[in-house]
Amino acid sequence: MDLNLEILRAARGLAAYATARHAVIAENVAHADTPGYRARDLTDFSDSFRSRGDLPFAMKATREGHIVTSPPRHSADVVERALFGAEAPNGNNVSIEDQMMRAVESQRQHSMALAVYRKSLDIIRTTLARP
Amino acid sequence: MNDLLKAMGAASSGMHAQSARLRISTENIANADTPGFRRKIVTFEMLDPERNARAVTTGRTYTSEAELQRIYDPAHPMAGEDGMYDGSNVNLVVELADAREAQRSYEANLRMFDQARNMGTALLDLIRR
Repeated sequence: MDLNLEILRAARGLAAYATARHAVIAENVAHADTPGYRARDLTDFSDSFRSRGDLPFAMKATREGHIVTSPPRHSADVVERALFGAEAPNGNNVSIEDQMMRAVESQRQHSMALAVYRKSLDIIRTTLARP
Repeated sequence: MNDLLKAMGAASSGMHAQSARLRISTENIANADTPGFRRKIVTFEMLDPERNARAVTTGRTYTSEAELQRIYDPAHPMAGEDGMYDGSNVNLVVELADAREAQRSYEANLRMFDQARNMGTALLDLIRR
Protein backbone atom coordinates (compact mmCIF):
# COMPACT_ATOMS: atom_id res chain seq x y z
CA MET A 1 0.00 0.00 0.00
CA ASP A 2 1.30 3.39 -0.87
CA LEU A 3 0.52 5.90 1.80
CA ASN A 4 0.96 9.24 0.21
CA LEU A 5 1.60 11.40 3.22
CA GLU A 6 2.58 14.46 1.26
CA ILE A 7 -0.89 15.89 1.76
CA LEU A 8 -0.46 15.60 5.52
CA ARG A 9 2.85 17.46 5.27
CA ALA A 10 1.26 20.20 3.23
CA ALA A 11 -1.61 20.50 5.69
CA ARG A 12 0.80 20.66 8.58
CA GLY A 13 2.84 23.31 6.81
CA LEU A 14 -0.23 25.41 6.17
CA ALA A 15 -1.35 25.10 9.80
CA ALA A 16 2.10 26.15 11.04
CA TYR A 17 2.13 29.03 8.57
CA ALA A 18 -1.33 30.19 9.66
CA THR A 19 -0.40 30.20 13.35
CA ALA A 20 2.87 32.07 12.67
CA ARG A 21 0.97 34.61 10.62
CA HIS A 22 -1.62 34.97 13.34
CA ALA A 23 1.14 35.78 15.84
CA VAL A 24 2.46 38.54 13.57
CA ILE A 25 -1.03 39.99 13.11
CA ALA A 26 -1.66 39.90 16.86
CA GLU A 27 1.50 41.96 17.31
CA ASN A 28 0.23 44.46 14.77
CA VAL A 29 -3.09 44.84 16.58
CA ALA A 30 -1.33 45.19 19.93
CA HIS A 31 0.76 48.01 18.42
CA ALA A 32 -2.22 49.70 16.78
CA ASP A 33 -1.52 52.89 18.78
CA THR A 34 2.29 52.77 19.08
CA PRO A 35 3.90 55.76 17.34
CA GLY A 36 6.20 54.82 14.47
CA TYR A 37 5.19 51.15 14.36
CA ARG A 38 5.10 49.58 10.87
CA ALA A 39 2.58 46.83 10.16
CA ARG A 40 4.07 43.47 9.20
CA ASP A 41 2.87 40.28 7.62
CA LEU A 42 4.28 37.01 6.31
CA THR A 43 4.97 36.38 2.65
CA ASP A 44 2.45 34.20 0.87
CA PHE A 45 2.30 30.55 1.77
CA SER A 46 2.55 29.40 -1.84
CA ASP A 47 5.85 31.25 -2.23
CA SER A 48 7.44 29.79 0.86
CA PHE A 49 6.20 26.23 1.03
CA ARG A 50 8.68 23.60 0.01
CA SER A 51 7.17 20.24 -0.56
CA ARG A 52 10.21 18.01 -0.26
CA GLY A 53 13.90 17.91 0.39
CA ASP A 54 16.56 20.61 0.81
CA LEU A 55 15.66 21.33 4.36
CA PRO A 56 18.32 23.45 6.01
CA PHE A 57 18.11 22.10 9.53
CA ALA A 58 16.99 18.64 10.40
CA MET A 59 17.78 16.32 13.26
CA LYS A 60 20.19 13.62 12.20
CA ALA A 61 19.02 10.04 12.42
CA THR A 62 22.24 8.04 12.51
CA ARG A 63 20.90 4.86 13.99
CA GLU A 64 17.85 2.77 13.68
CA GLY A 65 15.38 3.83 16.29
CA HIS A 66 16.20 7.51 16.07
CA ILE A 67 13.16 9.55 15.58
CA VAL A 68 13.15 11.34 12.27
CA THR A 69 11.67 14.77 12.59
CA SER A 70 11.15 17.38 10.03
CA PRO A 71 11.41 21.08 10.78
CA PRO A 72 8.51 23.44 10.16
CA ARG A 73 7.55 23.17 6.53
CA HIS A 74 7.15 26.80 5.77
CA SER A 75 9.91 29.38 5.64
CA ALA A 76 7.86 32.50 5.18
CA ASP A 77 9.64 35.77 5.79
CA VAL A 78 8.25 38.59 7.86
CA VAL A 79 7.88 41.65 5.67
CA GLU A 80 6.40 45.06 6.21
CA ARG A 81 3.04 45.14 4.58
CA ALA A 82 0.25 47.57 5.21
CA LEU A 83 -2.83 48.99 3.61
CA PHE A 84 -1.98 51.87 1.31
CA GLY A 85 -2.81 55.20 2.86
CA ALA A 86 -3.30 53.87 6.38
CA GLU A 87 -0.38 55.84 7.78
CA ALA A 88 -1.21 58.05 10.76
CA PRO A 89 0.62 61.32 11.44
CA ASN A 90 2.67 59.62 14.18
CA GLY A 91 4.19 57.15 11.67
CA ASN A 92 2.03 54.20 12.63
CA ASN A 93 0.47 52.45 9.65
CA VAL A 94 -1.64 49.75 11.31
CA SER A 95 -5.21 49.70 10.12
CA ILE A 96 -7.34 47.63 12.50
CA GLU A 97 -9.84 46.77 9.74
CA ASP A 98 -7.07 45.54 7.47
CA GLN A 99 -5.58 43.48 10.29
CA MET A 100 -8.97 41.94 11.01
CA MET A 101 -9.23 40.85 7.37
CA ARG A 102 -5.80 39.27 7.58
CA ALA A 103 -6.63 37.59 10.88
CA VAL A 104 -9.78 36.06 9.45
CA GLU A 105 -7.81 34.91 6.41
CA SER A 106 -5.20 33.20 8.57
CA GLN A 107 -7.91 31.63 10.70
CA ARG A 108 -9.57 30.25 7.57
CA GLN A 109 -6.24 28.90 6.37
CA HIS A 110 -5.75 27.21 9.71
CA SER A 111 -9.18 25.61 9.79
CA MET A 112 -8.79 24.51 6.19
CA ALA A 113 -5.47 22.87 6.98
CA LEU A 114 -6.96 21.08 9.96
CA ALA A 115 -9.97 19.96 7.92
CA VAL A 116 -7.71 18.54 5.21
CA TYR A 117 -5.61 16.82 7.87
CA ARG A 118 -8.63 15.30 9.53
CA LYS A 119 -10.16 14.13 6.26
CA SER A 120 -6.88 12.55 5.19
CA LEU A 121 -6.69 10.68 8.48
CA ASP A 122 -10.27 9.54 7.95
CA ILE A 123 -9.41 8.23 4.51
CA ILE A 124 -6.38 6.38 5.85
CA ARG A 125 -8.51 4.96 8.63
CA THR A 126 -11.15 3.82 6.17
CA THR A 127 -8.49 2.22 4.01
CA LEU A 128 -7.02 0.33 6.94
CA ALA A 129 -10.32 -0.72 8.46
CA ARG A 130 -11.25 -4.37 8.50
CA PRO A 131 -13.90 -5.31 6.02
CA MET B 1 1.23 25.95 19.11
CA ASN B 2 4.14 28.12 20.19
CA ASP B 3 3.09 30.76 17.69
CA LEU B 4 -0.42 30.70 19.07
CA LEU B 5 0.95 31.35 22.55
CA LYS B 6 2.96 34.22 21.09
CA ALA B 7 -0.19 35.61 19.51
CA MET B 8 -2.03 35.37 22.80
CA GLY B 9 0.89 37.03 24.59
CA ALA B 10 0.91 39.92 22.15
CA ALA B 11 -2.86 40.31 22.43
CA SER B 12 -2.76 40.28 26.23
CA SER B 13 0.06 42.84 26.27
CA GLY B 14 -2.11 45.02 24.04
CA MET B 15 -5.05 44.66 26.40
CA HIS B 16 -2.83 45.49 29.35
CA ALA B 17 -1.51 48.64 27.67
CA GLN B 18 -4.95 49.77 26.58
CA SER B 19 -6.41 49.28 30.05
CA ALA B 20 -3.55 51.33 31.51
CA ARG B 21 -4.42 54.05 28.99
CA LEU B 22 -8.08 53.87 30.01
CA ARG B 23 -7.07 54.18 33.66
CA ILE B 24 -5.02 57.29 32.99
CA SER B 25 -7.85 58.76 30.94
CA THR B 26 -10.29 58.06 33.77
CA GLU B 27 -7.96 59.72 36.26
CA ASN B 28 -7.83 62.77 34.02
CA ILE B 29 -11.62 62.91 33.86
CA ALA B 30 -11.89 62.44 37.62
CA ASN B 31 -9.53 65.37 38.15
CA ALA B 32 -11.12 67.62 35.55
CA ASP B 33 -12.18 70.07 38.27
CA THR B 34 -9.07 69.84 40.43
CA PRO B 35 -7.33 73.24 40.47
CA GLY B 36 -3.86 73.08 38.93
CA PHE B 37 -4.18 69.51 37.66
CA ARG B 38 -2.30 68.77 34.46
CA ARG B 39 -3.55 66.14 32.06
CA LYS B 40 -1.47 62.93 31.93
CA ILE B 41 -0.53 61.36 28.60
CA VAL B 42 0.33 57.68 28.11
CA THR B 43 2.94 56.58 25.59
CA PHE B 44 3.15 53.18 23.94
CA GLU B 45 6.38 51.52 22.96
CA MET B 46 7.85 48.19 21.91
CA LEU B 47 8.80 46.01 24.88
CA ASP B 48 12.28 44.89 23.85
CA PRO B 49 12.90 44.38 20.12
CA GLU B 50 16.51 43.28 20.69
CA ARG B 51 15.43 40.25 22.65
CA ASN B 52 12.63 39.54 20.21
CA ALA B 53 9.95 40.58 22.65
CA ARG B 54 7.76 42.57 20.34
CA ALA B 55 4.85 43.00 22.70
CA VAL B 56 3.55 46.46 23.48
CA THR B 57 4.05 48.20 26.79
CA THR B 58 3.28 51.58 28.24
CA GLY B 59 6.28 53.84 28.56
CA ARG B 60 6.69 56.95 30.65
CA THR B 61 3.62 58.94 31.49
CA TYR B 62 3.95 62.60 30.58
CA THR B 63 2.00 65.54 31.83
CA SER B 64 0.50 67.89 29.30
CA GLU B 65 2.20 71.27 28.99
CA ALA B 66 -0.95 72.94 27.75
CA GLU B 67 -2.04 76.13 29.44
CA LEU B 68 -4.18 75.76 32.55
CA GLN B 69 -7.68 77.02 32.23
CA ARG B 70 -8.29 80.36 34.00
CA ILE B 71 -11.61 80.30 35.80
CA TYR B 72 -13.38 83.33 37.19
CA ASP B 73 -14.82 82.67 40.65
CA PRO B 74 -14.14 85.31 43.32
CA ALA B 75 -15.67 83.08 46.02
CA HIS B 76 -13.12 80.34 45.41
CA PRO B 77 -10.50 80.01 48.18
CA MET B 78 -7.69 79.94 45.62
CA ALA B 79 -8.91 82.94 43.68
CA GLY B 80 -6.43 85.78 43.35
CA GLU B 81 -6.91 89.53 43.44
CA ASP B 82 -8.68 89.53 40.08
CA GLY B 83 -11.04 86.70 41.12
CA MET B 84 -9.42 84.17 38.76
CA TYR B 85 -7.82 80.84 39.65
CA ASP B 86 -6.02 78.10 37.71
CA GLY B 87 -8.24 75.15 36.88
CA SER B 88 -7.05 71.94 35.21
CA ASN B 89 -6.10 71.64 31.56
CA VAL B 90 -8.25 68.56 31.01
CA ASN B 91 -10.49 68.71 27.98
CA LEU B 92 -13.37 66.34 28.63
CA VAL B 93 -14.13 65.81 24.95
CA VAL B 94 -10.54 64.76 24.25
CA GLU B 95 -10.56 62.43 27.25
CA LEU B 96 -13.80 60.80 26.19
CA ALA B 97 -12.48 60.26 22.67
CA ASP B 98 -9.28 58.80 24.11
CA ALA B 99 -11.22 56.48 26.42
CA ARG B 100 -13.39 55.31 23.54
CA GLU B 101 -10.36 54.64 21.36
CA ALA B 102 -8.76 52.65 24.18
CA GLN B 103 -11.93 50.61 24.47
CA ARG B 104 -12.04 49.87 20.74
CA SER B 105 -8.39 48.84 20.64
CA TYR B 106 -8.94 46.67 23.70
CA GLU B 107 -11.80 44.91 21.91
CA ALA B 108 -9.64 44.35 18.83
CA ASN B 109 -6.98 42.72 21.00
CA LEU B 110 -9.62 40.63 22.71
CA ARG B 111 -10.87 39.37 19.33
CA MET B 112 -7.33 38.41 18.35
CA PHE B 113 -6.93 36.54 21.62
CA ASP B 114 -10.21 34.74 21.07
CA GLN B 115 -9.26 33.76 17.54
CA ALA B 116 -5.91 32.37 18.67
CA ARG B 117 -7.67 30.42 21.40
CA ASN B 118 -10.17 29.00 18.93
CA MET B 119 -7.37 27.94 16.62
CA GLY B 120 -5.66 26.17 19.52
CA THR B 121 -8.87 24.42 20.46
CA ALA B 122 -9.36 23.22 16.89
CA LEU B 123 -5.82 21.88 16.92
CA LEU B 124 -6.41 20.00 20.16
CA ASP B 125 -9.68 18.60 18.82
CA LEU B 126 -7.64 16.91 16.13
CA ILE B 127 -5.66 15.06 18.78
CA ARG B 128 -8.69 14.24 20.84
CA ARG B 129 -10.41 12.12 18.18
